[in-house]
Amino acid sequence: MIPVVVLTGFLGAGKTTLLKRLLRDPDYADSAVIINEYGEVPLDHDLLASSEETFVATATGCLCCVVRSDLAATLMDLHRRRAAGEVPAYRRVLIETSGLADPAPILHALMTEQPVLETHRLEAVATLVDALHGPAALERHPEAQRQVRLADRILLTKPDLADAAALRAMLATLNPAAETRDVLHGVVPAAWLLAPAPRTDEWLDATARHSANLGSVIIQREGPLPAMALTLWLQGLAEHLGPKLLRLKGLVCIAEAPKAPAVLHGIGHVMHAPEWLDAWPSADHRSRIVLIGQGIPPYWPLRLLDAIEQEVRSASQRLGNDGVVDRG
Amino acid sequence: MTPPELRALLADSVALWGATARVTLDGEAVRVDAMRVTAATPEDLPIRWWLERPGQRRPCTSVLGLLRSLRNALGGGEAQKLRVV
Repeated sequence: MIPVVVLTGFLGAGKTTLLKRLLRDPDYADSAVIINEYGEVPLDHDLLASSEETFVATATGCLCCVVRSDLAATLMDLHRRRAAGEVPAYRRVLIETSGLADPAPILHALMTEQPVLETHRLEAVATLVDALHGPAALERHPEAQRQVRLADRILLTKPDLADAAALRAMLATLNPAAETRDVLHGVVPAAWLLAPAPRTDEWLDATARHSANLGSVIIQREGPLPAMALTLWLQGLAEHLGPKLLRLKGLVCIAEAPKAPAVLHGIGHVMHAPEWLDAWPSADHRSRIVLIGQGIPPYWPLRLLDAIEQEVRSASQRLGNDGVVDRG
Repeated sequence: MTPPELRALLADSVALWGATARVTLDGEAVRVDAMRVTAATPEDLPIRWWLERPGQRRPCTSVLGLLRSLRNALGGGEAQKLRVV
């Protein structure tokens, strides 16, 4: 599986400067780069002044709008050329989005396109925020906010040009789980930038500590949840939240297998099949689910879960606890 | 689910769909504008909920089915299906 790191950030945040610096750094060698630009002429690609064949520029418009076909096709074409020895055997892919891109559809493509899923793994989302113009972009442009909300790590660029205290507070409110680092002239340690995203339990703990955040809904439950109730609840979230759900992560105690938690990951109406950990990562065995979204009534997800769980438990009791429920 | 719990869920759902509808308690039922939602009796199983509109009584076998019917009735837009990858 080839790891993929998505570099995003609003217009002028310094993505191309960063990429230019990264590509001269031996620590970032063996990276294929996919650049998306908004407009007819792929200018950034030329600015990077590289002759590497593993550069791909897409100029078909904002990547998030055409991402299903373009990104998957581009990744798989590169993969095919790598296998055929037509391009160097790169070990990771960096995707630079256009400044106007909403990263969610890009992550969707990485999560849903079957050939991509079989060959690539989304490692992390890194979002650049300009210390000087970032506050205005975050206030005026929902895309900039979504870029921050979906980040696993945040790179605060041009920190020498402005006092970024207020911006840091804004970033911590929008995304308390993401680690933020100052980045001057594109210097970023590869070990940090290219590392896998934080573990789910760490992410949940960091987010739960800031449960008053706008757009975050935290659900914590003491008892185990029937698998059927969880499945139906996820179906309900997909149906009714859809694109309003930017991200869902959770550690859930399932009634049928309570000794280790199931890890949930989802974006919009797309959910990963639950993964099972070998054991609970800490003494805290409560189920914890965090939903980050926009326009979600804060109690709706829990109310729906309670209603579904009641129905499932009552049906299971009626059927002698076998949990088989026909819900046509 | 008690009628107040059902009213809270339906009121939140209406807000989520961006629909305009008044959600109120009406004894053991919940009114959503001119519609009325009531819990089915155990004898009605597998029906769990009734959604009554003038001249129509629609059965729903789950709370998800109820929300789907209500959303359609309110013109709340097309729902997306869960996709598991």
